[in-house]
Amino acid sequence: MSFVAWSVVLLVASGVFGALFRGRASLADAVFRAGTLVAAIVGSVPAVRVLRGTPVPDVTLPAPVPGGAWAFGLDAVSAVFLLAILWAGAAAAWSGVAALRGHVAPAAARVSHAFVGALLAAMVAVVTARAAVPFLIAWETMALASYATIVLDHASADVRRAGMLYLVATHVGTLALFELFAVWGAGAGDLTFASLAAHPPGGIARGAALVAALVGFGMKAGMVPLHFWLPEAHAAAPSHVSAILSGVVIKMGVYGLVRVTVLQGAPPAWWGWTLLAAGVASGVLGVVWALAQHDVKRLLAFHSVENVGIILLGLGAGALGVTYAHPAVAVLGFAAAALHTLNHALFKALLFLGAGGVAHAAGTRELDRLGAAARAMPVTAGAFLVGAAAIVGLPPLNGFLSEWLTARALLHAGLSTGSLRLAVLAVAVLGLIGALALACFAKVVGTVFLGRSRDPAARAAHESGIGETLPLVALTAACAGIGLAPAVVLPAILRMGAGAAGVSLGAIWAGGVDPATAPMGLFVAVVAGLGGIVWASRALLRTRAARGAHETWGCGYAMAGARAQYTASSFAAPVLASYGRVAGVHAHRTAAAFATHAGDPVLDACVTPAWHAVERVARSMRPLQRGRVWLYLMYLVAALGATLGYLLLAGRAA
Amino acid sequence: MQTTAELLLLLVVLTDLAVLGTSRLRTCIRAVAAQGLLLGLLPLALASQVTVHVAGLAAGTVLVKAVVLPWFLLWAIREAAVRREVEPVVGFIASLLLGALALALAFAISGRLPASDVREPVLIPAALATVMMGLIVLTTRRKALTQVVGYLMLENGIYLFGLTQTESVPFLLEVGVLLDIFAGVFIMGIVVFHINREFDSLDSARLSELKD
Amino acid sequence: MNHAHVGSSLAALAVLLVIAPALSGVVVRTKSAFAGRRGAPVGQLYWDLFKLMRKGTVYSTTTTWIFRAAPVVVLVSLTAASLLLPLDGQASPVQFSGDLIAFAGLLALGRFALVLAGLDTGSSFEGMGASREVTVASFAEPVLFLGFLGLVLATRRLTLSAMLGPALTAAWAHQTASLALVALAFFVLLLAENSRVPVDDPATHLELTMIHEVIVLDHSGPDLAVILYASSLKLALFAALIVEVAVPRDGLGLGWSLAAFAGGLLVVAMAVGVVESVMARLRLNRVPQLIVGAGALALFGIILLLR
Repeated sequence: MSFVAWSVVLLVASGVFGALFRGRASLADAVFRAGTLVAAIVGSVPAVRVLRGTPVPDVTLPAPVPGGAWAFGLDAVSAVFLLAILWAGAAAAWSGVAALRGHVAPAAARVSHAFVGALLAAMVAVVTARAAVPFLIAWETMALASYATIVLDHASADVRRAGMLYLVATHVGTLALFELFAVWGAGAGDLTFASLAAHPPGGIARGAALVAALVGFGMKAGMVPLHFWLPEAHAAAPSHVSAILSGVVIKMGVYGLVRVTVLQGAPPAWWGWTLLAAGVASGVLGVVWALAQHDVKRLLAFHSVENVGIILLGLGAGALGVTYAHPAVAVLGFAAAALHTLNHALFKALLFLGAGGVAHAAGTRELDRLGAAARAMPVTAGAFLVGAAAIVGLPPLNGFLSEWLTARALLHAGLSTGSLRLAVLAVAVLGLIGALALACFAKVVGTVFLGRSRDPAARAAHESGIGETLPLVALTAACAGIGLAPAVVLPAILRMGAGAAGVSLGAIWAGGVDPATAPMGLFVAVVAGLGGIVWASRALLRTRAARGAHETWGCGYAMAGARAQYTASSFAAPVLASYGRVAGVHAHRTAAAFATHAGDPVLDACVTPAWHAVERVARSMRPLQRGRVWLYLMYLVAALGATLGYLLLAGRAA
Repeated sequence: MQTTAELLLLLVVLTDLAVLGTSRLRTCIRAVAAQGLLLGLLPLALASQVTVHVAGLAAGTVLVKAVVLPWFLLWAIREAAVRREVEPVVGFIASLLLGALALALAFAISGRLPASDVREPVLIPAALATVMMGLIVLTTRRKALTQVVGYLMLENGIYLFGLTQTESVPFLLEVGVLLDIFAGVFIMGIVVFHINREFDSLDSARLSELKD
Repeated sequence: MNHAHVGSSLAALAVLLVIAPALSGVVVRTKSAFAGRRGAPVGQLYWDLFKLMRKGTVYSTTTTWIFRAAPVVVLVSLTAASLLLPLDGQASPVQFSGDLIAFAGLLALGRFALVLAGLDTGSSFEGMGASREVTVASFAEPVLFLGFLGLVLATRRLTLSAMLGPALTAAWAHQTASLALVALAFFVLLLAENSRVPVDDPATHLELTMIHEVIVLDHSGPDLAVILYASSLKLALFAALIVEVAVPRDGLGLGWSLAAFAGGLLVVAMAVGVVESVMARLRLNRVPQLIVGAGALALFGIILLLR
């Protein structure tokens, strides 16, 4: 645990140093970069050790406030999340230093870096806290630090609006978490997780606690329909911050759901089914909405909703496996959820950083104005392509590995008896999500990196500096590495799943479930080998034949120029047409052009009207505010009196 | 191995899905005709021995449901010159998915019904599914003729329910049921024909214009 | 798995790889017979491939390395996918729990490469084709999964090798209806995934109406040969899937099994030819309806298995 503590100290200190240091900017930046990298390495040591099966003892600090001791611990579940935080965070921080240099005032940039460091440190504390009070403190620190990083560009009204939406949403979530711990802790001696686990609430109290958890953690995770703040905030933030927000911050919601699932022993059946249903809704709607977007960052943000959906499918399967006492489903489900969390942190950070680089270089995030970036930015394009293939779940990359695990959990559920087997139908949903994600990323890669540039201004694009490409290359290597080495990754992640499900792995394998580690590795090797053979043989063929270059065949027409290319709007239109109003698309069709405008149905149709209603009610209470001090004192006295009266009455009743 | 009756019932459900998934009225009518034929064959497949009673029921059903009514409906669409259901209230994909949902519900519910027929376990779910999909067609389509098809499906579903009781229901009652459908469809057909002649449209949504 | 199995499954794979181009020829011959013509020889595609292999390549100046890599990725993904099917009716060379997901993933990988190559040319025609390809796929892929789910539930096995191998014979005895529905859904899927009538018309002459043919407009020489061969392999792969579902070959000797396999492929190809002859191409916005209909069939089969 001391390694983790050092990691937190490094993250905070390196950022704060930059914010306070008044000397050369490059030194402050170097300190911040070194701090995050060393923090990542230092923090990974215990995480890897735990994942390899060596437990790390818990640490308990004396509590300064009521609610039990402040315990911190690191189990395999926390370790996976810790790795995601530290490495996606370090990559984003490195990229962010380069991205902000020259675009933002140095002082503002360094303050922003300090908040990024604090954000990462707070998340490390969230996943290692083993008591409600430090958990909530870390949670709130994380929320506020996120807010501070989102509104870096606070001169823009859109950014301020997104920041406010985020702030309101996250505090509604925090409120729900207070309720969760208050209800759950009422029956337990104190608020440490150990005693919460020992005294799970029963009956209505359990229902109330779990609903609160669903709202609180679901809001953070961006689970449909609580996702409405996410695309706004993640699009408004600077790209490297979006990478952290989408890659890891929303995963804290997932972490909370995992922890709540594990802490309550055998969860009620409705909990697992609700998670599964939320996964289906988030997965399908997230990707449909993403298809409708033309701002590349909003699009990526909606894909986070989709991927949280996939994670929830795994988690739901895990919870159901525990409930229905089906250990194989439970282990595979938890493992799939954790691995997809880690994977999504890696490739989503990669995609956001790549998109940020393109947006910087081209000066726009509009897909309909971009194009041909692969020529000017080959490294970014290659990295983004790998990230896109990974998020779509194509073999042999890491996204495929975790989606395969998710599907296996659901398939094993299908082989069981009783109502658990109905969960198998979610596999078809997984297929739908994958196919739609493929359509969406074909659209993104095609319109951003391929073809010809649609906008004269965007033609001046150039490759990002080494400070931005290096993190991209590192994340690409991580995505490919996890995908190509299932034999290393799978045993560790399955052991983690077994730990979360509270069963032993050996018993499951003995029960006829196939770990499929070795043949999966063979399969990956075969695919890679085949690729090499075909590539080599075609290279041989090509050396013998003539090669020529010509402009694209225009089917007998003179090519009408870059503007005649298919745009993102037109590319996605046929898919979206089948989803009708659910897609939230408004099309503008003229004789010569086709454009679509995408809204968020939940935000536009539900949240905004509700907000206006609240505003109206609040306005009607304006007369209470007279600005006279004696009146406020009267309110205080009245409130005190009412509380006293309630206590007296309640005391008599007792 | 599945019994003949079971396979016939599954084919009945397939014709339900065919009606839900197609926009061509002609195909809809053919599907319902095929369903009528299957319903006619079912008593033969279900009966332990083929009596005159059963054979009569089968022959009557085939005649009415697979020959007369479809012929009448085909005549009606020729007269009214409608070929397609253009703009249903609920899209075809959505109504197919609704149909699949109805199917799942039918199987889920029938497992819990106390009167589950042990002789042929698929009979009750198929009947329920046909009724539900008939309702879906009735409520989600605009063309009066498609609604007639939905009405027929509904009746077919009820007929399937009736098959659970063939041994105890008197022959006369069955004839009555058939006559009832026949009259119903006949009247609707005439109504459809006149609506079309008066308003040049078979869009039942436009009937609301008749109110004051 | 012993070495004899590897040998026989590789032999079956060789049959698939060799016979694949002939299947397109069979489809064309069937269509010609319906139209009262003689039609091109069954082996036409072999000759075309041979010819293309010796030709030079022209690359559009707009394209990048993605365009050059795409044919290889397409071919590799399809070959790897065929390694997962027990083509000899017994066992596949590579198998692991949940490999059906890998099968679907590999098909998706090939599609991703093909679509990106189309977009790489910057041609609005190819963009259109790419858009249609992913649209059709977004409906087809869930149906593929539903079909696989039907097989999983009918055989209670989690590898393609076991699902389509001996366990299937036993399943046919009890789950006839469900398996027939799955086979039917797979046939619709074959038409959709391989851009056949009624989803797409491979013989059309107008780029505006094409799906698959229009994405590969700019490929030439050996690249085009690879793409054409990969397309025929994809058709063969889906035909093989249908043959494996419809005709369990448990208990046959290797020779008979391979003969039955090859014969089955030809029958499926002829069926495709018949469908192409008697049906017209659907309007593009009606295509999802067809595929969702196939999905409803597969779902019906699953409901029968889950009850």
